Amino acid sequence: MQEEILTLKNQVLAQIMSSKDVIELEQIRIDYFGRSGKLTSLMKKIREVPSDQRGQIGQTINEVKLTIEELISNKKNSFKENAREWFDPTIPGVKPKMGHLHLLTQAIREISSVFEKIGFVRERYPEVEWDYYAFGALNFPKNHPARDDWETFFVDQPENPKLGPMLLTPHTSSGQIREMERTKPPIRMINIAKCYRRQSDVSHTQMFHQFEGLVIDTDISIVNLKGTLDYFAENFFGKGRVARIRPYHFQFTEPSFEVDISCGICKGKGCKLCKEGWLEIGGAGMVHPNVLKNGGVDPNKYSGFAFGWGVERALMMKSGLNIPDLRMLYSTDLRFLTQF
Amino acid sequence: MDILIPNNWLREFLKTDATNGEIAKYLSLSGPSVEKIIKNSFSEVYSIEVTTNRMDTASVYGIAREASAILPRFGKKAKLASIKLTNNFTFSNKVDYLSAQVDPKLCPRFTSVLIKNVKFGKSSQVVRERLSACGIRPINNIVDISNYIMLELGQPVHTFDYDKIKGSSMVLRESKKGEKITTLDDKEFILPGGDIVIEDGKGRLIDLCGIMGGGLSAIDEYTQNVLLFIQNYDPIHIRKTSMTLAQRSMAASLFEKGIDPELVKTAILKATKMFEELTGGIPEKEVLDIYPNPIKEKAVSLDFEKITKKLGIEISRKDITEILTLLGFSPSWIKNQLKVSVPSFRSDDVIIPEDVVEEIARIYGYHNFPSRIMSGVIPDKPADSPFDFEEIIKNLLKGYGGAEVYTFSLVSKANTDKDSLKLANPLGTDSEYLRTSLMHSLSEAVKQNASEKEAFHLFEIANVYIPKNGKLPDEKMTLAGMFANTDYRQAKGVIEALLEELNIKAVLVQEELKGFLPGQRIEIKVGDKVIGQFGNLEEGNYTYYEFGIAEMKSYSDSHKKYVPIPSNPPQIEDLTFNFPVKTKIGDVINLISSKDKTIEKVELKDIFNDAYTFRIWYQDKNRTLTNKEVESVRKEIVKTVKAKFGGTYKD
Repeated sequence: MQEEILTLKNQVLAQIMSSKDVIELEQIRIDYFGRSGKLTSLMKKIREVPSDQRGQIGQTINEVKLTIEELISNKKNSFKENAREWFDPTIPGVKPKMGHLHLLTQAIREISSVFEKIGFVRERYPEVEWDYYAFGALNFPKNHPARDDWETFFVDQPENPKLGPMLLTPHTSSGQIREMERTKPPIRMINIAKCYRRQSDVSHTQMFHQFEGLVIDTDISIVNLKGTLDYFAENFFGKGRVARIRPYHFQFTEPSFEVDISCGICKGKGCKLCKEGWLEIGGAGMVHPNVLKNGGVDPNKYSGFAFGWGVERALMMKSGLNIPDLRMLYSTDLRFLTQF
Repeated sequence: MDILIPNNWLREFLKTDATNGEIAKYLSLSGPSVEKIIKNSFSEVYSIEVTTNRMDTASVYGIAREASAILPRFGKKAKLASIKLTNNFTFSNKVDYLSAQVDPKLCPRFTSVLIKNVKFGKSSQVVRERLSACGIRPINNIVDISNYIMLELGQPVHTFDYDKIKGSSMVLRESKKGEKITTLDDKEFILPGGDIVIEDGKGRLIDLCGIMGGGLSAIDEYTQNVLLFIQNYDPIHIRKTSMTLAQRSMAASLFEKGIDPELVKTAILKATKMFEELTGGIPEKEVLDIYPNPIKEKAVSLDFEKITKKLGIEISRKDITEILTLLGFSPSWIKNQLKVSVPSFRSDDVIIPEDVVEEIARIYGYHNFPSRIMSGVIPDKPADSPFDFEEIIKNLLKGYGGAEVYTFSLVSKANTDKDSLKLANPLGTDSEYLRTSLMHSLSEAVKQNASEKEAFHLFEIANVYIPKNGKLPDEKMTLAGMFANTDYRQAKGVIEALLEELNIKAVLVQEELKGFLPGQRIEIKVGDKVIGQFGNLEEGNYTYYEFGIAEMKSYSDSHKKYVPIPSNPPQIEDLTFNFPVKTKIGDVINLISSKDKTIEKVELKDIFNDAYTFRIWYQDKNRTLTNKEVESVRKEIVKTVKAKFGGTYKD
């Protein structure tokens, strides 16, 4: 028995010395000390040994056991010091499920944050409105083409005797009178909302989004409008971008402007993407005195400016997305949604 | 409206040292927008966008006039050459060759002249080239003259074969519904009624005014005597007819914006001259001119301070006078008071002081204005603003793996409730109604991704429109979402996490509703108030949820409260039960949770076949529970679960 033990000891020592890694060492430990390991089996046989020799054998086994454990432990440490456990840092991680905010949400968030920083308050008004707020109070003459069945959606409901037909707001400007009714000047309002027009093609969807700014205070002039537009150009489109205004025509502003933003690619020199260095973003103007009057604001005391632009357009201009068909923005295809 | 202006035609009226590029650039900055310059074998052509209030610029002459006012401010010499006309005619409201009965409300100015012995043929090279450059095909000298005048002056022109007008008489009136007319191009129209038409002495319709001439009186190669015919019409009538019959033309576009009655006279003189030159025709000496209410000269008054305040800068009186004069206005000052007489071609457009301010500002040049954000008081933010809350929800759902969609508010009849608001003039049947729920839109969105085999979750925050009798609908901002290929527990977990994160203390109660599978829908309630719903849909293998944003917001407590951290650790243990089929585990958890006040929390830890493992936290705030105490609670749990649900405890 004594001899058997010593033979086993020598075998183990040799194996430990020649082992190459932790896994091999662990296997050795199991082979000898495991439930049916060689040394464990030997220990179970100790009862068969004559009683006078049991003490001696027992002691030998214990000594051997301690020696081997120490040796395994030392060997293990030597592995850690020299060649640590093999590790693959290139293996891909397990990502949490990733969600996506829609491009329009991202654009709306940026737009409102840019204006909120200069004291604009975001508001929300009805999308289904009376003609009065969408047209009448905004100085549109009775037979203006925008009030036709061909351009604006009307709701099949009885007319309001005072406010006219029920319709879907064709522009965010319907919020102007609502805001003047909600609060008194000073007003710095931003309204970002769904609008509807009776057209559908590559550059139009029958539902779209606009953002509208309205500022009313004493002494608001063209200079302030230009200041606000330049601020927006730089903070939304990026450093160095500026705005310019050109004459245009709207019913509810006088003077009215078309607003351009300097091209970010050519910096205003003119390139393939822009028109002579400028990109059109939309309309603006000084609030028409009739509109102020209709909103209960004295045009002799107060003046104001307003602008209303397409969120989709601002988004396309900013991102250079190159979406060939605006209708794609309203696609619910995951292959589109998950790109953003 | 976009128009094409050939450069050499423009320069016939505009004498300037400005290059074509400069003309384009400066016009765009201070007047009509030049979209581009097109190169053409005959000339460079400006493509120009004219706004609806400035139809006086929708012609070669109009652009020349505008440019002559704009260019000097940019340091360019510019002079407007006048239209050379010799007026040997008398204008009379009665002539021998035509008796005309005209409703002045439909036609404020009616002019006409008979031109005899015209020779049908080709126009001159210049006329043909200019028309071509404007994208209009030359046809014959008579038609070409009409088009030429329209392009040069912005006044549409019509011609009749005089000999085809029965009884040499005309009645200009509104059409009756159902009347028929065949136009020049052989199309028959059944008129909607209220269109401006002309009938001849035999009661035949010979013109659909402002839209297209009638076939019965059309010019052809046998025509000898031409009735030249130039009018302006009530814009509203023209637009209605043009839109209803889908007959869009440049003439209709001009008429429907309104035409200066003075221009009618210029045009008939110029056209007559061209007929003499190009067709050899001989005009009558008397021009028929029915113009009972000539327009009166208008004036606008405003003061210098007002101008300065609106502009935000001071432009000197001298400059103001110069600018307005260049534009054709007649300004005069009495001290600080400015009186501006408005020329007839601007009388529809310049009415109030702000209109005059615009003229001064744009010619002075918007690019010369400084740029400065307003000072002044910043308004208060309304306390109940919903936007931040909506943002939080969107961010959370994105974090939980949702993909946001924007779907159309307008839906088909099949996708809505019976009392939904209907559009009077939808573009199609798929967008006829205002939705009252987001469910159908999201269903379609999910179906669009039918090929996706992995789990996915789409969501949207948008208004639904709940009709209110006689009032605007209630626009209810709604959160909705749909899970596809997703395990029920995973989907429900998202909703539970959302409610927890928003700190909404809600209970989930099973309730049936049409559209959901029986027994597979849950209402989300705070007290008695239902704030949302969640469940598996009847149609498709989808899980749907929907919440009112306002309801969520009112129960969302954004201020989380501090609860002192217990100084003693809880005792935590897992209990496993086997349950008979159809046991509602939610009810089991509710029961266990309410069994004893020391039970802090119960979670479902694991499911294996019919064995459910619950993890239970026992906690007393003031002391450490003994094993004995926990054991007695556990025994209670085991006993009740057995009694209520037949669940057997696996030791």
